[in-house]
This record gives sequence, structure tokens and C-alpha cells, in this order.
Amino acid sequence: MNDHHTMSGLAARIRSGETTAAATLDACLESIERGDGTIRSFQCTGAEAARTRATEIDRRIQAGEDVGPLAGVPIAIKDNIVTRGEPTTCGSRLLEHFRSPYDATVVARLTESGAVPFGKTRCDEFAMGSGTEYCAFGPVHNPWDTSRVPGGSSGGSAAAVAAGFCHAALGSDTGGSIRQPASLCGVVGIKPTYGRVSRYGLVSFGPSLDQIGPFARTVEDAALVLQAISGEDVHDSTTIDAPCEDLLADLHTPIEGLRVGLPREYLDAGNDDAVNEMVQSAVQTYRELGAEIVDVELPLTDVGIATYYVIGPAEASSNLARFDGIRYGERVAPGPGESLFDLYARSRGEGFGPEVRRRIMLGTYVLSAGYYDAYYKRALQVRRLIRDEFEGVFKQCDILLGPTTPSPAFRIGSISDPLSMYLCDRYTVNANIAGICGISLPGGFTEVDGRTLPLGLQLQAPALGERTLLRAARMFEQATDHHTRVPDSGSSTVDA
Amino acid sequence: MTTIASTQLKIGMEIHVELATRSKMFSRSANIAHPDNYDAPPNSLCDPVVLGLPGALPVMNREAVEMSMMVGMALGCTIPDFSKWDRKNYFYPDLPKGYQISQYDLPLCEGGSLEIPVPDGGTRNIGITRAHLEEDTGKTGHELPGGLSYEGSLIDYNRAGVPLLEIVSEPDLRCAEEAVAFGKELRNLCRFLGVTEGVMQRGHMRFEPNINMIITLEDGTTVATPIAEIKNLNSFRAVQGAIEHEAKRQVEAWKSDGLVMGAGAKSTRGWDDQRQVTFLQRAKEDAHDYRYFPEPDLIPVVVDDRWRSEIETKIPELPNRRRVRYASDYGLSGKDAMALTSDRDPCYFYEACIESTGALVGDGMKPSEIGTAAAKFLLNVGARLANERGRELQELGIDPQQVAGVIELRHANDIGSNAAEQLFEMLCDSDAEARDAAEEAGLLQVTDTGQLDAWVDEAIAAQPQAAEDFASGKDAAVGRLVGHVMKASGGQADAAAVRNCLVEKLRS
Repeated sequence: MNDHHTMSGLAARIRSGETTAAATLDACLESIERGDGTIRSFQCTGAEAARTRATEIDRRIQAGEDVGPLAGVPIAIKDNIVTRGEPTTCGSRLLEHFRSPYDATVVARLTESGAVPFGKTRCDEFAMGSGTEYCAFGPVHNPWDTSRVPGGSSGGSAAAVAAGFCHAALGSDTGGSIRQPASLCGVVGIKPTYGRVSRYGLVSFGPSLDQIGPFARTVEDAALVLQAISGEDVHDSTTIDAPCEDLLADLHTPIEGLRVGLPREYLDAGNDDAVNEMVQSAVQTYRELGAEIVDVELPLTDVGIATYYVIGPAEASSNLARFDGIRYGERVAPGPGESLFDLYARSRGEGFGPEVRRRIMLGTYVLSAGYYDAYYKRALQVRRLIRDEFEGVFKQCDILLGPTTPSPAFRIGSISDPLSMYLCDRYTVNANIAGICGISLPGGFTEVDGRTLPLGLQLQAPALGERTLLRAARMFEQATDHHTRVPDSGSSTVDA
Repeated sequence: MTTIASTQLKIGMEIHVELATRSKMFSRSANIAHPDNYDAPPNSLCDPVVLGLPGALPVMNREAVEMSMMVGMALGCTIPDFSKWDRKNYFYPDLPKGYQISQYDLPLCEGGSLEIPVPDGGTRNIGITRAHLEEDTGKTGHELPGGLSYEGSLIDYNRAGVPLLEIVSEPDLRCAEEAVAFGKELRNLCRFLGVTEGVMQRGHMRFEPNINMIITLEDGTTVATPIAEIKNLNSFRAVQGAIEHEAKRQVEAWKSDGLVMGAGAKSTRGWDDQRQVTFLQRAKEDAHDYRYFPEPDLIPVVVDDRWRSEIETKIPELPNRRRVRYASDYGLSGKDAMALTSDRDPCYFYEACIESTGALVGDGMKPSEIGTAAAKFLLNVGARLANERGRELQELGIDPQQVAGVIELRHANDIGSNAAEQLFEMLCDSDAEARDAAEEAGLLQVTDTGQLDAWVDEAIAAQPQAAEDFASGKDAAVGRLVGHVMKASGGQADAAAVRNCLVEKLRS
């Protein structure tokens, strides 16, 4: 991929007047019009509002203003991040008609960087799922094989970038919801350090786990978007009061001597062979780049899913209480002799999909009197242990390497057992539990039933270790050509 | 069943105080409990955070935490280094998020006590268990503004998110009067601290007494009745009534069902102001499971010594300290000192009068004389007028400079005591300086000897018998002569000077 096709290249051409933000957006909307009939990655494109923003960027460029590093680049927004005046459905019937009166901080920051946030990409209902199959408005299809899922919950964003509809998109990652779909769609996805990016305007799933992050075709493009959305926010007290550093500063620094940790637990027999081979080949690439490969152990990898499915649902059961059928969704009137409680129970019972109901029940249960200590409190203790384990391992190495997912994209509808679905996230949840950062980038491919499917390589770094993470990812990307391959159904990213 | 020998009430109080911060507990939205916003139209003090809109996040209001620390410190509480926020989960239409942000196991203030006056005179210390900060809910109503009826339920979110300090006492209170005294004392303290105006009608303070009875039987054994928590009382009259009703009801209930205190026996009751009775709202069996857990959207509150001492310096002299000072410096009786400190504004008015008098008289009066004189005027004529006019002392219309003028005139003996009270009353409706007003109204005393001589001579001439009786040693006769002078002078003569003059003329 030459400069012509990167986001920074595009922004430069828009700034110089070689093309315009409006023309870029139009090309992007046309490609969605052409290709999204089969992929179904967008819930809506918000074309009108986006055109207004693009025209404004063009006007400012013509007036000689510096509009920022993302000048005129259209960036798609996951449908659980609010944008003023536009729908934010979270893939749920309950929010089908909701319009937010305010912009999420990330949306405001993208705008400040000159980008054109547009559209809403489909996700699992309230970001609960690993295939974007649990979207109340229909599933998203993987551009590499439309019979397969794009991963989830940010499947719409991943598929949109993979299909070439846009250079970048925002997603949210609570247990792997950015990295896992990035892996399954063959694009780059970053889960930043907890607190790096403001959550203000992200419809909460698990507030102690949620982070917003970017999808892009290349590490550098993803880093540019991350740079734009990062930083302390007065609206989110969990954001980190860290100096606003240049996350791209080390992007081109060779990694000679970098200690790359390979956790024994990540090369599990339960992984597809192709996945383990991909990891071994990545190890070889890093060796050739001069990195030192360190064998490490992360014995708590196994308990991540159990811990996650206590903490996440507990928080979710509380966060989703506001969707009560009174202010959101269809109000199902109680029958004769029934009470206000029945109104809630009926409205919520009919409004939420099965996976969301399952997690609300799970979360309610683990927080109940008599069970709190055995589940929630215990999970918090394990959370501490997982954090400590990462802290120990990061004394032995600078980054961790492994697969993002145990297998490539599965067929839509093929996983009906919730636990099997949950296990898709077994390599990703611990980064959320510990609050560290992680990235998934194209690591290789496998042939399944005559179709080429991408495999994702996951790198993880300690909290606030994004510079090292991005540097290691970028060096791998430069040494390989996986990121240049595009799905047959998709086009190379549209440019005007 | 053995008969009851005696009963004893046991009461613990939970008091909710709406803090008068500029913005709400977790958002920048203006606060209905702040005087600037008292009359805001329904649902006008809202933003995405207050309404719990999807994606909105709470951010702690430091002012609310500092006000709470002040209250805690004034109550002698410990302010721990670390406290945190928790979610209390339950469904109700006036609770926008489906949970209330509160503090569960690590409150902002722990331990402490409050001294209250008790019915038999004297004081008692009531233990404070804890005080924690939380957010208020919205209000559910069934009337449109202006009192028009409406068929459905209406919700006003102006109150949602108002900082609410919940102060919990130990079960140290023994009767309704003590519970009321505790409530009043706490209200007064909070007003002195400036954390609320404490307007009961606006719901700035709400009381929830936890009540039970210790019943002693004739055989010497005791039983405790199940605890009843009375929700949401917003007047002292209601607190009094609810406790008195419970005292009777619980004994009757025990006689009929024999239930005693224990797990599963606590109930929640409401207060019917019309019928003056409590009624059952919820028995323990269907008590909520609030599923408390740490609020992940907020960071813990970490307090260090520097912050604590910064807040400590902001605490004004509290009423109990003032009481002691008034007694020792001004020689006021306990009753007078209590009367002058039982409310913030009259107390500040009293001190302003002292200050103005000091400025006016310079070294002419000792501070103790000023303090006593000001107390005497405010508690006698001032209190009488306040009562007659249905106003607070500081709202009578007389200002501290005018009070100082009256004190000065009286101290210099330029005015008699009855005339001084008259002048005080006149100044409530006038902006004039005390001396000018007294002069205009002819209230100044005449001590000029020439004029006195003339009046005294006139009296002797008019009352020869009385003059003779007095001259011959009958002291009682002086009254008639002085009376004559006072009448002739229109009350302006100084009675003591008249008497001296009579002695000189008739007995020397």
C-alpha cells in the first residue's frame, strides 16, 4: 500500500486541494451504496449530516485554515457511540428511535482533528456478542466470506474497513470487541489502555472494561485515529491524567533488542492449527527483525472468561436498568391487577434480545445478596491477580505476542451454545480485565472451504505502553504483506 | 402474659440534607437546592448526566464533597483517607439511571456526636454513626404546575442529582422531643456551616426515624419491639407525631402479636399527616435487594491532611461554641445563650448589633456590658415584636446600627428603659438614627437641673400633704411627687434625678 492509499496520504491530498472532503465522502457513500447490500455493515450512513461536515472542512481549507491531521477523512462510528441528532441504536429495539442530544467526546475530537465522522456501524445488541449476529436489525457479513461472521461486537466497523468502504472506523472493546473482529476481517484494531480514551458518549456495557478504539487498514492509520481521540476528558473521570504524548513518535524506530514475550498458554491445542502456525511464523518474523523472543507463562489466561462473565454482566445489569420501557422502547402496559414492576418486566422482556437478557440475569444474580461474595467479590480478587500476573510478565518482556482468536471467522448461525461463543474472546478479555493495551493486526491467512480467511496476530503491552505496541506492530507490518490483501468482495479503499 | 411495668422509646435518626452547591452532585447542571434556582420551572435543571442519557457519565462535584467534610468535621466525625462510590440498584420512574450513586461501606464521614438540649434542661450527646454523600432522585407527582389535576404520573427531574448528605445517628434518642431537638440542632448547624438554607417546605431536610420500644415487664424482663423506619418526614411536627404514634402502636402491636425485634421483623412505614398515623409501606420480607457494587464510572475520594486542614479553616464558630462564649464573655444565662444561637440569622444579627455598638461607643462600654445590653433588647422587645409581627428578629426592619444607637442612649441614661423599648419599636419602621428619632418623639430624658427644679417645686406646691409626709420620713410618699413630675414632664424627666432633687429640697 503506497502513500496514495493511506489515510495520512488522503488527508494530505485533501489539505492540498488535490481533492476535497466532499468528494471523498461521496466516493465513500457510493461504495457503501454499491457494496453494503451484501455486507450490511451500516445501520445508517448519516449522509446528510456528514456532507454538511465535509463541506465545512472544505470551506475551512479554502480559507487557509489548518483543519488538523485527519483533514476530510470519513470515519465510521460504531452504533453504540452517540452522535448529536442522529440515531444511536446499539443494535437494540429499545433504542430504535433514540436520538442523542449530544456528541460523544471521541466524535467531537475526531471533528477537531478535521475528520468527518459519519454513519453508524452495526454491532451486537449493546455490544454483547462475538459475531454481530445479535443485532436486532440483522447480522453483518464478513467481506472475506459473506456466509461468515465479521466477529463482534464491533463487526460493522471491522467489515466496513475490510470492505474498503472507509479508511477507518471507531469501535468499542469490552472483552475483545475491537480486536476479535479486526482479526476475523483482516484489519488493524486497537484496544487502548483503560483511561486513554474518553468513554463519554459510549453507551456503557461494562464501564470498568470498556474502551473505544480505532479500526484501520494499517497500523499507522489506526495510530493516527488513536492519537486524535486520546487524552484526559473532564466528562470522564476514569480518563488518565497523562501528558498528551505523541503516540506515533516511535512508529518508525526499528525493534532490535525488543523483548517479545510468547506465553505458553497462547499456543493452546484448542487453537486451529493454522492459528498456531501463524503465531510461529510471526515469531520467526520478529526474530528476523532482531527482537529477542522470551518464553513466558500466563497461567491465569484460563480464568479470564469466567472472571469476565461475572464482572461484565454485573456492570451491564446495572447500566441497562435505565432502558425500562418508560423512557426508551415500547412501553408494554401491565395487565389487569399488575403493577409498575410488571410494566418494567414486560417492556424489558420484550425489548431486549436473548443474549442481553441472559447477561442481565447473570449480572443480577452475581450481585444478589448471598451471592455477591461468592461471585462478584471473588471475581474482583481474581482481577487483581490477573493484573499482577501481567505486571510480573512485563518485567520479563516488553510486549506479548499471540493469536487474537483461536480460529478464523465462523459461519453465521453456527455457534448456538453461549459458552462456545464466549470462548472466542479467551485471548482478548484479560487485557480488558487488567486495563492494558492490545492490538490485532493481519498475521496471515488460511484457506477454509475454498475461501481465504484472515488470521489476526495480537500484541499486548503494559498500561500506557501504546508507543511500544504500535512500534512493534508497525515493524511487523512492514516486514509482511498481509495488510495489502483485500477480500474479493471488497475493493481497495475508496479514494476520490 | 405478665403486665407491662414501663416502656422506653429508642430512636435513631437518618437525616437527608440537600446541599446548596451551585451545580449538581455529578454534573454541571444547576442545583434546585441553591437559592438562585429555587423556583426553576419543572425539568429545566437537566442535562444528559442528570437524565441518565445513554453514554452520559458522572463527574464528582468537589464542592459537595467539601461541604460534607465540613458537616462531618463539625459533628466531630473522622474523615477517612479513602472513601468510594457505590451503585444502589432499583427501578423507579423518578430514578433516571435505574440506580442511585451512593456510598455503601466506605462513607465520607465516620463516627461523631451532636450535643442537643433535652426537655428537662441541660444537654445530651447523641452519637453520629456516619454521614455519606449520594444523589437525590427526581420527583413523581400527579398534578400539573398550578395544581391542575392530571391522569397519569408526572416526573420532574429538577431534583434528580442534587447532592444529598445522609447523616445517620446512633439509636440514642429517647423521646419525640429529643428527636425533634436533634433535628433542629442539626438544621441549625448546617445553616451555620452554609451548606443549606434548611427550608423545610422545600424539602431541604428530610427525616427518617428508626423507632422501637423497650418494654419492661413486671417480672423485670425486657422485650424490644420490631424496628419501624418512618420514611420521608419533612417537618418537625411530622417527626413528633410519627414517633408519638409509633410509641402507642408498637406497644399495642406487641400485645396482640407478641412479635419482637430480630431479623425479618423490621418494617418501613409512611406518615399520614391528615390522620396523624403511620401506615405500613413494606414489611421486611419484600425488602429490596439493592445489589450494591462499586461505581465503575467514578474514582475513589482520596483525602489527605492538607485537604482536611483546608476545609477545617472554613468552618465558622459553631452554635455550641458561641453559647459557651456568650455565657463566659457576656454573662448570659444558659437559656438566653441558647435562644440567641438556636438559629443562624438571629444569631448573626445579635453579633452584628454587638459589633455596631462597639464601634459607636468606643471605650464607653465594656464588651460584657454591650453583650448583655444587646441580648436584653433582642430577647425582650425584639422577641416580643418578632412574635407579634410573625417575623424573624433580623427581619423586623431595625438594623444593627439603630440597635447600637438605642443601647448607647440607654447606657448614657439619655433615655429611660420604657422609652428605649418604645424607640426600638419605632426604629423597626424608620430609617432614622436612634438619637434623632428619640429627640423627635420627645423620648430623651431631661436631666437639666433648672427645668427639674421648676417641675419639683411645682409638684411640692401641688401636693403639700405628700411633701410634708416625705419630709417627715415617710418614703412611700415620694411616689406621688415623682408621679406628678413625670406627668408634668411628659415622661421626659429622669426619675432618679427627680428623687434626688426631692431629697435635697425636703430632707436637708
